[in-house]
Amino acid sequence: MDTFLVNAGGIVLMAAIVWWFWLSDSGSTASDEHQHH
Amino acid sequence: MTETTELQRALSISGASCQGCAKKIRNALEPLTGDTELVEVNLEEQTVALPEGVDLEEAARRVTDAGYPAEPVKEANEQPASCCAGKAKAEASDGHTHQDHSGHQAEKPDEVAPEAPAGGDQVSLSVSGATCASCVNTIEKAMMSVSGVTHAHMNLADNTATATGDADPQALVKAIESAGYGASVIENADAADERKQAEDRRQYRSLLIKMAVSLSLGLGLMIWGMGFGSMMVTEANQTTWLGLGVLTLIVMAATGGHFYTGAWKAFRHHNANMDTLIAVGTGTAWLYSIVVASVPELLPEMARHVYFEASAMIIGLINLGQALELRAKGKTSEAVRRLLDLRAKTARVIRDGQEQDIPVEEVRKGDRVRVRPGEKIPVDGVIREGSSRVDESMLTGEPMPVSKAEGDEISAGTLNTHGSIIYEATRVGSETALAQIIRLVKKAQGSKPAIGRLADKISSVFVPTVMIIAVFSALVWYNVGPEPAVVHMMVAATTVLIIACPCALGLATPMSVMVGVGKAAEYGALIRQGDALQTAGKLDLVILDKTGTITEGHPAVTRVYSANGDESRLLALAAGLEQHSEHPLAEAILAKARDEAIEPEKVSGFEAINGKGVRGELDGQTVRLGNRRWLEDEGLTLNSLSDAADTITDEAGTPLYLTLGDEVLGVIGVADAIKPDSKAAIKRLHDAGIKVMMVTGDVEATARAIASKAGIDDYRAEVLPEDKAEVVSEMRGKGYTVAMVGDGINDAPALAAADVGFAIGTGTDVAIESAAITLMRGSLHGVPDAIEISRATVKNIHQNLFGAFIYNSLGIPVAAGLLYPLWGILMNPILAGAAMSLSSVTVVSNANRLRLFRTSHNPERNEHKEQN
Repeated sequence: MDTFLVNAGGIVLMAAIVWWFWLSDSGSTASDEHQHH
Repeated sequence: MTETTELQRALSISGASCQGCAKKIRNALEPLTGDTELVEVNLEEQTVALPEGVDLEEAARRVTDAGYPAEPVKEANEQPASCCAGKAKAEASDGHTHQDHSGHQAEKPDEVAPEAPAGGDQVSLSVSGATCASCVNTIEKAMMSVSGVTHAHMNLADNTATATGDADPQALVKAIESAGYGASVIENADAADERKQAEDRRQYRSLLIKMAVSLSLGLGLMIWGMGFGSMMVTEANQTTWLGLGVLTLIVMAATGGHFYTGAWKAFRHHNANMDTLIAVGTGTAWLYSIVVASVPELLPEMARHVYFEASAMIIGLINLGQALELRAKGKTSEAVRRLLDLRAKTARVIRDGQEQDIPVEEVRKGDRVRVRPGEKIPVDGVIREGSSRVDESMLTGEPMPVSKAEGDEISAGTLNTHGSIIYEATRVGSETALAQIIRLVKKAQGSKPAIGRLADKISSVFVPTVMIIAVFSALVWYNVGPEPAVVHMMVAATTVLIIACPCALGLATPMSVMVGVGKAAEYGALIRQGDALQTAGKLDLVILDKTGTITEGHPAVTRVYSANGDESRLLALAAGLEQHSEHPLAEAILAKARDEAIEPEKVSGFEAINGKGVRGELDGQTVRLGNRRWLEDEGLTLNSLSDAADTITDEAGTPLYLTLGDEVLGVIGVADAIKPDSKAAIKRLHDAGIKVMMVTGDVEATARAIASKAGIDDYRAEVLPEDKAEVVSEMRGKGYTVAMVGDGINDAPALAAADVGFAIGTGTDVAIESAAITLMRGSLHGVPDAIEISRATVKNIHQNLFGAFIYNSLGIPVAAGLLYPLWGILMNPILAGAAMSLSSVTVVSNANRLRLFRTSHNPERNEHKEQN
């Protein structure tokens, strides 16, 4: 159970980083540069 | 300009790199054009061509809003060639002898501005809190979001930002502040400089104190842990560790608060920067440790290790790194400070017959100023009484003091070495050449060459990528690593976050550009754009204009042949014609007549025929002075003077034939001497592997003679000034990276057409928009100097970027624990903090190394500098 929770938490965290810094629309630096590539 | 010449209106853009970008731009412009097909995006040249009738300002705004900073450029059918047609210079030429008798040459350089920037006013802001390339991106984005801004630029090297357009300065300040940084409008550049220096000193001291506090705590904890117990939490020491945890938190907040607030502000705006990495890294270590100290039973016994000392020491080391970086950054702007120090504080002004010392700011135009030997010239002006020798080396790089007499111009910041002079102030305050030079250097230092923009792109994705790598490596340690897995995953993640250094990437280019531009200024080469600095290093063909570039630009009469032996009458007639002209060839003939005490004849009905010669009337007969082709077209036979004319052209002179009615009276040879150091400078270009070519309006024979004397590889003769740009384009078409060296007025189209335009011999007149690089010294050595400095700077940037790249690509895997399976090595987060600080200090120090660069020319010049 612990293993599942830690791994799921890690994956969610990575997804959250991708979403927050690249995909969410807020005039982020990275997103505008790269979302269209 | 393939597309922009076909369509009427154009924008220059930046940041568009693929067809996706082109599509986005076309879509953004659709409401204005009605059809996306009418918009042509040229990704290579970063231009957008639009149909006629489109509001350029509105189009620029829309493209900018779409994420590609854009500004309108001049209309395609207003190419610079047209602006200067007819301003043909005094080519001492048989082919174009008198192109300029209409007096165009009297026009001032500042009336020609083919490259005048579009887009409105500029607002300069002082920005605080920016540490890396991600911050630069965030700030530029924030500024672009303000309505009215067409272009925004942040310079990390001196922490200033510039916005072009008609935006409200306070709105810009607010936008930057809401992005998480401090900003204030720079109204008085001088005061801002002083404020910034004081602020830097204060910040340096503050960082050192913070460093001392956090390192003391970290070291103390380490020693206590190792000497009196261990870093493991037990029932006996749990309360003590809890107390130490709280103490660590207080110290972290006090000494590293700026990292946490910076990270939070960036996070709110979906950004990540160096602060994010430090905050998350040290925060993770502290959080883990406080959990261990509060509820140790949650974790296996082996994992009850605290890392409070790591958090404190990392913050201490990074503060130390930032303090060292701040210090080194200060040194990179030394060139500007040296220029600022050239300004005199007071001036001795003569008002109402009284001499009085007043602050230099109070000197008005038209004031008479006395300067005694050994004093600095306080403002620009023209000498009215006395003569002296003036040392202009500090501005132009020219080593020898220059003789100045009544009527000569002198510049603020130069040194009166010899006599006492009284001069009239013509330019004061921000109008002086010195003030303009300072402004130009500062602007160029802040500009970013293409290579820097690439680094920015990389670093904008850098921080989030590092965060993902940190989480991923933590998961790997958890799943396949040895026990205690929780400790290992926490250490690996923290170390990855701390060792990654986006600041090295962000600093690599601006630091080197700052030093390189300053170094060039020291050699009398004013670089306008960072791009020119980068391109100058790649040049493989230098095209030189002849008059005033290779030669002195002051033609003198070398030979006078009279068909009937009466040379005095020949000169008297020629001088009679030329006294109506302002052409340099006319000056040469008049000077010769003056020297020989010959009174010019009274010639009436003067007329200049552009590129051919001049004519007038004497006793009902037409007098003509001009080139062979024109006179032969007029039906005159000049064969009797062929030998004399050949002798003149063999000596690199220009033959001017004089006729009266149908009678050929003689030929006058006018030659422009090659500058004494032109040959050596051309040899330096050859040594650097650069081909040298000359373009001139002269006839073939004269051009050949000059080319052979100066050691030039190739030449083009009989080229009209307006056709020089075509020669430049032709050579670029053949694959050369071309520099054009000429004067900033007549050669403006050619300078603008070249990859790098050098305006030469302009003295302290720096108001030349057409050239990317202005050489204040008349010598051609400025060209190889600028190229050598450019090559050194680009090499330095490459070293920095390569170093930053290697550091990160080795450091991050090692921090993640890649060496553990091989040798059991897992890096300590404290070591990562030290390595990170060291990497950014290394980048700044390497850029500073450029300050020691010396070009291959003129050792006595360097000695001269040192004596000063």
